[in-house]
Amino acid sequence: MKIEEFKDFTIQDYHHLLEEKKISPLELVNIFLERIEEGEDKIHAFLFVNEEKAKNEAREKTDNWPEELPPLWGLPVAIKDNICTQGMPTTCGSKMLENFVSPYDATVVERLKAAGAIILGKTNMDEFAMGSSTENSTFGPTHNPLDLRRTPGGSSGGSAASVCALEAPCALGSDTGGSVRQPAAFCGVVGLRPTYGRVPRYGVVGLASSLDQAGPITRKVEDAITILEVISGKDSRDSTCAPYPPFSRNEIPSLEDIRKIKVGVPREYFSSRVEKVIGEKIQEALGKLKGEGVELVEVSLPHTDYALEAYYIVASAEASSNLARYDGVMYGLRVEGEDLQDMYFETRTLGFGKEVKRRIILGTYSLSSGHYDEYYLKSMKVRTLVRKDFEEALKQCNLLITPTTPSFPFFLGEETQDLYERYTDDIFTIPSALAGLPSLSLNCGYEGGLPVGLQIIGGPFEEGKLLGLALWLEKLLALPSPFPELKEGRGQ
Amino acid sequence: MKEVVYLSELEKIARLSKLGFSAEELQSFLRDINDIVAHFEKLNQLDLQDVSPTSHLGGGEPPFFSDEPQAWEGSEEVLKGAPWVAGGYFIVPRIVDKEEKENEDRRI
Amino acid sequence: MSDFTTTIGLEVHCQLLTQAKMFCRCSTDYIGKEPNTLVCPVCLGLPGSLPVLNQKVVELALRAALALHCQILPQTLFHRKNYFYPDLPKGYQISQYNLPIGIDGFLEFYSQGVRKKARIRRIHIEEDAGKLVHEGAFLPPGTSGVDCNRCGIPLVEIVTEPDLSSPEEARDCLMMLRNIVCYLEVSDGNMEEGSLRCDANISLSSSSLTGVKVEVKNMNSFRSVYRALSYEVERQRKLLEEGKPVFQETRHWDEIKGVTVSARGKEEAEDYRYFPDPDLLPFSLKTEMIEEIKSGLLELPLEKEERFMTQYELSQGEAEILVQDREIADFFEDTLRNFNKPRMVCNWIVTEVFRNLKELGTTISRAKITPSHLAELLKMVDRKEISGTMAKSVLEEMFTSGARAREIVTRRGMALINDEKELENIVKEVIEKNPQSVADYLSGKEKALQFLIGQVMKETRGQADPELTRNILIKVLSSEE
Ligand SMILES: [Mg+2]
Ligand SMILES: [Zn+2]
Repeated sequence: MKIEEFKDFTIQDYHHLLEEKKISPLELVNIFLERIEEGEDKIHAFLFVNEEKAKNEAREKTDNWPEELPPLWGLPVAIKDNICTQGMPTTCGSKMLENFVSPYDATVVERLKAAGAIILGKTNMDEFAMGSSTENSTFGPTHNPLDLRRTPGGSSGGSAASVCALEAPCALGSDTGGSVRQPAAFCGVVGLRPTYGRVPRYGVVGLASSLDQAGPITRKVEDAITILEVISGKDSRDSTCAPYPPFSRNEIPSLEDIRKIKVGVPREYFSSRVEKVIGEKIQEALGKLKGEGVELVEVSLPHTDYALEAYYIVASAEASSNLARYDGVMYGLRVEGEDLQDMYFETRTLGFGKEVKRRIILGTYSLSSGHYDEYYLKSMKVRTLVRKDFEEALKQCNLLITPTTPSFPFFLGEETQDLYERYTDDIFTIPSALAGLPSLSLNCGYEGGLPVGLQIIGGPFEEGKLLGLALWLEKLLALPSPFPELKEGRGQ
Repeated sequence: MKEVVYLSELEKIARLSKLGFSAEELQSFLRDINDIVAHFEKLNQLDLQDVSPTSHLGGGEPPFFSDEPQAWEGSEEVLKGAPWVAGGYFIVPRIVDKEEKENEDRRI
Repeated sequence: MSDFTTTIGLEVHCQLLTQAKMFCRCSTDYIGKEPNTLVCPVCLGLPGSLPVLNQKVVELALRAALALHCQILPQTLFHRKNYFYPDLPKGYQISQYNLPIGIDGFLEFYSQGVRKKARIRRIHIEEDAGKLVHEGAFLPPGTSGVDCNRCGIPLVEIVTEPDLSSPEEARDCLMMLRNIVCYLEVSDGNMEEGSLRCDANISLSSSSLTGVKVEVKNMNSFRSVYRALSYEVERQRKLLEEGKPVFQETRHWDEIKGVTVSARGKEEAEDYRYFPDPDLLPFSLKTEMIEEIKSGLLELPLEKEERFMTQYELSQGEAEILVQDREIADFFEDTLRNFNKPRMVCNWIVTEVFRNLKELGTTISRAKITPSHLAELLKMVDRKEISGTMAKSVLEEMFTSGARAREIVTRRGMALINDEKELENIVKEVIEKNPQSVADYLSGKEKALQFLIGQVMKETRGQADPELTRNILIKVLSSEE
């Protein structure tokens, strides 16, 4: 089979092919490895391609074809490089971990493997997930397959680009303030950030522990459901993981019930900050729902404007502490120095990139004596207000719809002068992350070949409703799946 | 722009973080951090007096594990991948410096 | 010369007696193990690893907090204490900060026969750090080694108020604290192996001078706590008397030189940047759990001491010696179960049993003797089947071989000579050999009788019935007159 034939495939479709033995895991892996070979010098979505082991595993599976196939049996999956994979590099896009090979699997990887998936490789990302363009990767940026001059977004830019370019049928990313949804929006694919505590964090390298959540990046909403079913559910190794069973598609309401859902439209998300076309595309999608009889209500999330500041303080503070372990003593980079202090300074100064250092400094500052109350504590209070906003809004409706990003993917190397301006790229994904709510980005149209991401936000652990609406909306919009030609300039 | 964070303070923060900066870098970081902190001033518009902080999102009782040891097989692999190991120990520059000695005893 | 008041507060770290570490499943049995073999991603701080609390840690800490009469906070939480050091893999220590497991308790103890009380400010849970080695053939020149086997072992830190007024009191308070944690099986309390560690804050003040707090560290035994603090009292007194200032600083006890040495304060105070650990959710201590632990609390040393005094009519001194070690106290009571003469059992334990333990360098739980065996021996003494002297020698063998008293006595052919005829013959022999003592006795020196009894004992290798011997001696001597 040819890669083009998989353009509109869901994981279920691969599963059926495999069940009917119309394709073998080895053939499947080889097709994707070829596609990677073809696309990578233009896209650079992968930091590591697990060629040998993936082939061996596929061969092993091909030789031992079971009667009953586990849900992801034989399916290649790409993994963001901050998710630990045993025997493979886990660099977090940083020089600090350039040579680090994880001795253990993250729980989510363990679950993918147990479901029969084959790890295709590790995808590029902003260093330690700090950034929204993948340009902060020590190993060079990833290019947006839809327009190679542009960013795929970040920090899970490699995962989103690989799925968009069909170098992988699906991928895992991680979302701290929007790192799954924003690149999904920029690459015209689906990105799901589950409720905080829905998916175990064990083995997902911590950026901001109270915000981090791994999630699927897929070509179809259906696939996000399949992956979520596999990776979610309580984990005895993660205290913050909710003691609930894995998500099940049985939680998704019937279409009949979905039609009765009330959709809230928060007015703060349609401000002048949003590019006009993006606002229009979202309204179009909302119009379609209204046309189907869905009730739309305007709601307000009054503290939206404060979420960004609070987020950067909380995330940086936690990151400054989480990144203290990179000291050159037991793993990763080490630069020898005259004495211990020297070694610490040399190692960390050389091992971390500029943005990481900036956030460590900001985080350390906000936790340091005399500043804790003013910065860290205040931010945690704002977080409470942001949560309450959502609670109130979700009393008036069942789900919220917003744009995922205020703008289209920017050009690579397009340095914004103002650092703060750059941070505002995440204004629409940050609030629900602060509140720990499930949020999904779905492509709702193209403008000049560039995709527009629509975000659906739900109440805690209400992935069922959220995915139900996403499935329906995807069907209503009936957009073609991306299959970029990988030429310079605009694709699609 | 109003300077809230001073250079001396930034230097202290850099020391605490074990990060080295050139004078030029320090200036650039000083601008950045003051830029962010200036935007942060906006939060002063809010009355946060009676708002409780959210430090954790998870609710309910966290899981505990029972007191039964379980060996882990990967320790050799970690030692193999470490920057410097001798006699099964992770090796660091000798800790002799008085300040470090003090640190050692002050710990915990 | 002005009168100074000494004020001392203690900070004690105790390793908790769990099988697994605090936040991972690695074994805590690290003494004598190869370095970095009891480790896992969590205690090595590998990227992506997360802590999950060991239930037993909470139980043991609660036990200690309740025994120290602490108020238990309804909700508790872990903070991160951030600092860099090679034995701290994550770059932060998980500890408790403003929500410790217990606050505002107290501890009672005897010091020089007087009952004292020290308030407990707080007791909190935290993880231990790894071990550094600075010497060893395997170490490349100019390096130190890090062993993470100890990383993540659970500790409680117990902080007293500055309620102690002398080095003796500080030592006695610490000993009682150790007794309590050992009694409760919260910790093994071993100072030599570092499972119990103590720092002290000490200041001297007078009516005209407020005290300056000096922190003393590196004291590795009760003796060194006493010595270090005594040294510090003298050092500070001298300075103050000479009108010189005492600096607020940390000082290290040098066991060999017998002095404290300034650790020289750093120009920059450490900034630990405590904040709630986002990886660990706050948790509440349920009333039922607290009540269950409370009701399961074993009798504490001081309570036991008082009970021994009333129930067995022992003196405070006797009771105190017995309760110092829970195993000894239990041994004492177990012996009574088969031989109910408390005073006699107590005497035998604090003299003969202690002596044998010391000579063999062992503890009562590891010794070969059991309470019922000791009771059996003492019963034989009580029934005058053997003499005290014989019993001492039998006890020695019981300690070394584990054999029972009757078996040893039979094997050695030891039986009390209570045949009057036989004893009279020996007495006559002794009288013949010691004319001077006989003369002394007859001239009224009672002491000489004691000597003659001793000689009879010697002749019979201790097997003569002491009372019968005495009676026969008096009878024979009176006929000599
Ligand atoms: Mg401590
Ligand atoms: Zn461990």
